Amino acid sequence: MPDSQPILEVLDLHVHFKMLAGVVRAVDGVNFTVERGRCLGIVGESGCGKSVTARSILRLLHSSQTSGQILYHPNGDDEPIDLVNLDPRGDAIRAIRGKDIAMIFQEPMTSLTPVYTIGEQIMESIRQHQNLSEEEAQELAISMLNKVGIPDAERRFADYPHQMSGGMRQRVMIAIALCCEPRVLIADEPTTALDVTIQAQILRLIRSLQQDLDMSVIMITHDLSVIAQLADFVVVMYLGQMAEKAPVVELFQNPKHPYTQALLRSIVRPDTPPREQLHTISGSVPDPRNAPSGCRFRNRCPSVHDRCLEDPPVVEFGPQHTATCWLYVDD
Amino acid sequence: MPDTPILQVENLSKFFPVQRGLFRRTVGHVKAVNDVTFTVNKGECVGLVGESGCGKTTVARCLLRLVEPDQGRILLHSEQQTFDIASASRKEMLDVRRQMQIIFQDPFSSLDPRWRVTDVIAEPLIAQKIGRAEASRRVLEILPTVGLGAHFADRFPHELSGGERQRVSIARALVVSPPLVVADEPVSALDVSVRSQIINLLLDLQSQMNLTYVFIAHDLSIVKHISHRIAVMYLGRLVELGTTQQVFEECKHPYTKALLASVLIPDPTHREQSYVLEGEVPSPLNPPSGCHFSTRCPFAQEQCSAEEPDLRDMGNGHLVRCHFAEDLDLSEGVFALPLATSSASA
Ligand SMILES: Nc1ncnc2c1ncn2[C@@H]1O[C@H](COP(=O)(O)OP(=O)(O)O)[C@@H](O)[C@H]1O
Ligand SMILES: Nc1ncnc2c1ncn2[C@@H]1O[C@H](COP(=O)(O)OP(=O)(O)O)[C@@H](O)[C@H]1O
Ligand SMILES: [Mg+2]
Ligand SMILES: [Mg+2]
Repeated sequence: MPDSQPILEVLDLHVHFKMLAGVVRAVDGVNFTVERGRCLGIVGESGCGKSVTARSILRLLHSSQTSGQILYHPNGDDEPIDLVNLDPRGDAIRAIRGKDIAMIFQEPMTSLTPVYTIGEQIMESIRQHQNLSEEEAQELAISMLNKVGIPDAERRFADYPHQMSGGMRQRVMIAIALCCEPRVLIADEPTTALDVTIQAQILRLIRSLQQDLDMSVIMITHDLSVIAQLADFVVVMYLGQMAEKAPVVELFQNPKHPYTQALLRSIVRPDTPPREQLHTISGSVPDPRNAPSGCRFRNRCPSVHDRCLEDPPVVEFGPQHTATCWLYVDD
Repeated sequence: MPDTPILQVENLSKFFPVQRGLFRRTVGHVKAVNDVTFTVNKGECVGLVGESGCGKTTVARCLLRLVEPDQGRILLHSEQQTFDIASASRKEMLDVRRQMQIIFQDPFSSLDPRWRVTDVIAEPLIAQKIGRAEASRRVLEILPTVGLGAHFADRFPHELSGGERQRVSIARALVVSPPLVVADEPVSALDVSVRSQIINLLLDLQSQMNLTYVFIAHDLSIVKHISHRIAVMYLGRLVELGTTQQVFEECKHPYTKALLASVLIPDPTHREQSYVLEGEVPSPLNPPSGCHFSTRCPFAQEQCSAEEPDLRDMGNGHLVRCHFAEDLDLSEGVFALPLATSSASA
C-alpha cells in the first residue's frame, strides 16, 4: 500500500442553524480525513448530522453558521484550499462542485430535473466543466450511461426521469456525478430507498468505479452492513458529534464506544438465534435542540456515569482509532 | 404446535386496469397478485418477501378488503364461524375486523394530523360502535402494553418519534384484540436502534396474546428472525413457500437464492460472499412469458420462457415454482459475481 495521502481533511467542523426555537447544533466538532482512492464511511442514525456534514463540504448550506476547516488537497504538495473560506455562491466553489467533488443523494429527483431528458442533463453537466465539442460530449455521456449499467443507453438518452425506475434514476445520477471524473464522490444514502438486489448492484458499481478512476468516496449510511462491505475507514456519529473513528475491521472487531458497541449488537446477523429478543438501545435519538449536555449519548448509555455530565475526552486506542468517551479514563 | 389454519388464501388474484389517453381506455392489466394460495396457522408468523412491486401490499390490502380481490377465496376461521372475506358483506367485514387488523409502515400518513394519539388508537373501536368512554378506557389500557405511558394519549402525531408512532399503530391494531395481525413493513422506516425494540415488542405480544402474524418486509434478516414460514413473491406470483429453514437454508428457487445472496453481510472480513443479481424486475404490465423470472435467471433453459412452471411440492410442504427445482444446486456461490474484488485491509 502506498503512503496514504489525504485528499480532504475536515477539522473541527461545526455547523449550527439558528432557529426560532433555539440553536440546532447539527454538527459539533467533527474531524476526519479522506484518503486518496479510499472509502470513508460515515454511519449514524437519522438526524445525527451526516447529510449536513456532506453538504457543508460542498458549501450547499446557505442559512448555517459554519466554522472549522475543510481542507481540499487537489495535488499532493500544493497548498490546500480551505472550502470553508469560499463564498458558497462564488465561482471558486462552483468550479470544484461537480468537477472535483461530486455528490449523489438518496432521492435522485433532488438532483435530476423532471422537465429535461436525462441526456440533456448529463450533457449540461459535461459542458459546465469540460471543453468538449457537442459530439464529444454526447459520446462521453453515452459511454458514462453504459458504464453505470444502463442498457440501451443511446435510446434512454431521450427519456425523462419519470420514465425510469428508481434504480435507473440512481444510475443516471451516478453517471452525471462521475462524468467529470471527480476526485471525491460523496454518496449520501444512495441505496436506502432501493431493493436489496438493486442496492447490491449500485454498491458494486460504486466500488468498481472507485477503483477504475482511483476516486475517493465518502459513503454516508445508517446501515452498518453497507459500511462493512464498502468502507476502509469509519466515522460513527451521534447527535452531531463523533462517537468513534477507526479502520473498518478494527471498528467491527474492537468497538470501544458504548454507542458503537450497542449498534453492532443490535444488527440481526445470519447466526442470530431466531425469534429471541434482540439487543436494543433504550429510548430514541432526542431532538438536537434538547440534546443532553456533556456526553450526548449519556441518557441512553448502559455504562453512564456521573462524569458523563461533562464533555467526554477523545481517547486513542491505536494510531487511527479514537472514541469520545469517559469509560477509558481513570479517575 | 398442531397446525390449525386461521387464514386460508385460495387462488387470490388482483389485476389493476391500466388506463391511457383522453378516454381512459384500458390498455392492459397489472397482475399485481396472480393466483396466490397459502395458509396461515394459529400462532405462527408467516413472512412475505420479494422486491418492491411484487404484490406484497396488494395481498395485505386484499386480506382486509381495502381493495376488492378479482378472484379467489380468503377464508378466515374464528371460534364461532368461518368468513369468506372475498365475498363478505359490509356487516360481516365489521366482524372480520375484530378478528384481523393491519399495521402499516406509517399509519399517520393517511390520518388527520389534528387527531390525537387517543383518537388514532380508538378509531377501530369507534368503527365497532363502541362508545367514546369505553373506547378511551381501552386506549389507556393498551398504551402500557406497547410500552407507552398514559401521557401519550393526548399527544399529536408530530410530537412523536418514529418508534413511538409505530408503537401507536401497533396499539391501534391490537385494541380490538384481534387474533390475527397483518404487518406491512412495520419497521422499514425506523432507525436501527429502534427497529430492534419494535421487533422485540412484536415477538413479546405474539407470545403474550397468542397472536398470529402475516409479516411483510423487504429486510430479509428481520423476516428470517421473526417468521416460522416464508412466502417469496415475484411479479405477482408465489415462487417459493416453506419453513424458514427450507427457504433460507435449503432454497430451491433461483430467485430466492438471488434475493438471499444480495443481503449484505455485516462483516468487513467477508466481502467476497456477496452476490449480485443482474437486471431489474421487468414491467408487471408485460411480464415475461413462461416463468416470469426466466429473463434474469442464470439457469434459464428454452423451456423456461415457453412454459410457466407450476408451484410444486418438493417434500414436507416446501413449494417451489421452477421447472428445474430438483436438479439445481443452489449451494454456495454458484452463479453470481462477487460484489467486491478487494477485501478490507485492516
Ligand atoms: N437547513 C436546516 N435548518 C435547520 N436545521 C437543519 C437543517 N438541515 C438539517 N437540520 C437539522 O440538523 C440535524 C442533522 O440533520 P442531517 O444532517 O440531515 O441528519 P442525517 O444524519 O439524518 O443526515 C437534524 O436535527 C436536522 O433537523
Ligand atoms: N391501486 C393501484 N392501481 C394500479 N396499480 C397498482 C395499485 N396498487 C398497486 N399497483 C401495482 O401493483 C403492483 C404490486 O404493488 P404492491 O402490492 O404495492 O407491491 P409491493 O408491496 O410488493 O411493493 C405494482 O406494479 C403496483 O404498481
Ligand atoms: Mg441524511
Ligand atoms: Mg408494499
